[in-house]
Amino acid sequence: MHHRPVFVDFWASWCPPCKMMEPIVDRLAVEYEGRIRVAKVNVDRNRGLADRLNIKGLPTYMMFAGGASTGSLTAAQTERKLRGLIDEALIAGGPEGDTDG
Amino acid sequence: MTDPAQHNAGKTCWNCPAVEFKGHVDFRACGQAAFSRAAEGQLVVECKRREEIGYFDPMSITYDACPEYEATEFGYLLRGMRVMILGMDGYLGWPLALKLAKLGCQVFGIDNMLRRELVAERGAQSVLPIGSMQERIESARELLGVEIDFRPIDLCDREEFFAYVEEVKPEAFVQYAEIPSAPYSMASVETATKTIYNNNIGTLNLMFAMRDYAPEASMIKLGTMGEYGSPLTGRPLFEGLFPGDAVLQHGDDEWSLGGELVPRDPVSFYHVSKVQGTFTMYESCKYWWLRGIDVMQGVVYGLHTPELMTDPSLNTRFDIDEWWGTVINRFVAQAVVGAPLTIFGSGNQIRGYITVADAMQCMIRLLASPPEPGQYEVVNQVTDVLSVRELAQTVARIGRDEFDLTPTIQRIENPRVEAEEHPYEVIHEKLEKDFGFSSQSNVEDEIRYMFKRLMEPSSRELIEASRDTLFPKTLWSGGEKTLEVVEADLDY
Repeated sequence: MHHRPVFVDFWASWCPPCKMMEPIVDRLAVEYEGRIRVAKVNVDRNRGLADRLNIKGLPTYMMFAGGASTGSLTAAQTERKLRGLIDEALIAGGPEGDTDG
Repeated sequence: MTDPAQHNAGKTCWNCPAVEFKGHVDFRACGQAAFSRAAEGQLVVECKRREEIGYFDPMSITYDACPEYEATEFGYLLRGMRVMILGMDGYLGWPLALKLAKLGCQVFGIDNMLRRELVAERGAQSVLPIGSMQERIESARELLGVEIDFRPIDLCDREEFFAYVEEVKPEAFVQYAEIPSAPYSMASVETATKTIYNNNIGTLNLMFAMRDYAPEASMIKLGTMGEYGSPLTGRPLFEGLFPGDAVLQHGDDEWSLGGELVPRDPVSFYHVSKVQGTFTMYESCKYWWLRGIDVMQGVVYGLHTPELMTDPSLNTRFDIDEWWGTVINRFVAQAVVGAPLTIFGSGNQIRGYITVADAMQCMIRLLASPPEPGQYEVVNQVTDVLSVRELAQTVARIGRDEFDLTPTIQRIENPRVEAEEHPYEVIHEKLEKDFGFSSQSNVEDEIRYMFKRLMEPSSRELIEASRDTLFPKTLWSGGEKTLEVVEADLDY
């Protein structure tokens, strides 16, 4: 049984790039629908989690596949870089065309 | 299209100024993503207005479900919200005070009355007669049934201002207490200093007052479209921050510009002071978890809100001289007394414009929907983008065709340092998309209404008395001169 890789967007209210990147993240979520899951985590309201994952700057975009982090990027990113992060995780996560378990 | 009264229905205590963060939120964490120790459990808050509900998740109650919120045409408004208007005696401060009071807000205001002083020094005056602040408040009480609290305090007087803030504990601040004149700021080193000091120290005092006495309040500061300048490249004027897909390329590399402040190019020391104000607010929001909205307002004009129309004793001030009048207001005044409508240079300068009435609607919607803690929000508050020449022609045409006047339009030497031919594209979507704003004004109707009022004998006399102040003479290069007429009698 395979699970879809998860794209996590760590953000905060006081982070202008986090807000401005939202439409890009939403667009990618639509484009990769069915192949990844997207979660948005507000670090102030989820401090324990942010601390455990050692989030050092915002925004941080982190991919998880097979229960482990396959990579992360910190700061506003070009769409190209975000796709790179997601595509790497899709390759690492299992065979192509895998459906959600 | 969302229902304009429902734009903030889904906001929660996370946005609300009545939330109590103290004891629950570590303010030092704002702006730093590194946490020195793991937090126990989840973030909870209390409510200052409803102590009985104890601790709760700030996202669990929405505005439309909260008994402290009331549905209005401008969105859900906190009942009896305590709003402090800085600069309440001014062109915008007074109409906003009336409107908020009528909506049931508790309105508090300060003003140092500097505007009245500076306009009088120039040999000019408001051409809509206005009474003293005491008289205006009395009229508001009698005619609108509202109580407005006013203190003659200078925002730069820290002790007095902090004391008033501590007493009132505002839930929202509107920062209108700035010297708004570009030519005044360029007239001399004394006037430039006064402008920069008044505007920046005032804003700085507001930041500290909020931090110490009202950290959960929201603040709306008047910025200006003029902060951005008019880039010759034709780069659109985004709303304060680059969108997420903006990219900077250099050599073989590229970087996202998403969320960065857009470039500034201020064309006078007044505009420079606004740019600094933007940075003061932007940084303070990050240092101290403050909620701030920077309003890049276009050139405001008109004199027409339902409250102002009630009675002349509720007039807002209306300036028409070179230093204190804004361009459309000045053109109408010039036409009324048969003075030439003065276009600087080619007249192809393009700017964004908005009526007082629309500006008021915007401000109330912004007050109804505060940003999140620590969030610096920016909106471009503009409805029409027009050239100076088009405006002069429109004013002259209406004056001639509907009011039997014989206006003339002149192009004169430009006293300013500014581009006269330039592209100009303004992105102004947020107010409509996120705050439910919909313009209730149009340029021609507003001009018609201004003609009607300014042609009344009381106003016409006042414009005549200030006639000498109509023709511009302040040079950006220093000093004053009689500017030459480059082209007389333009067609319209």
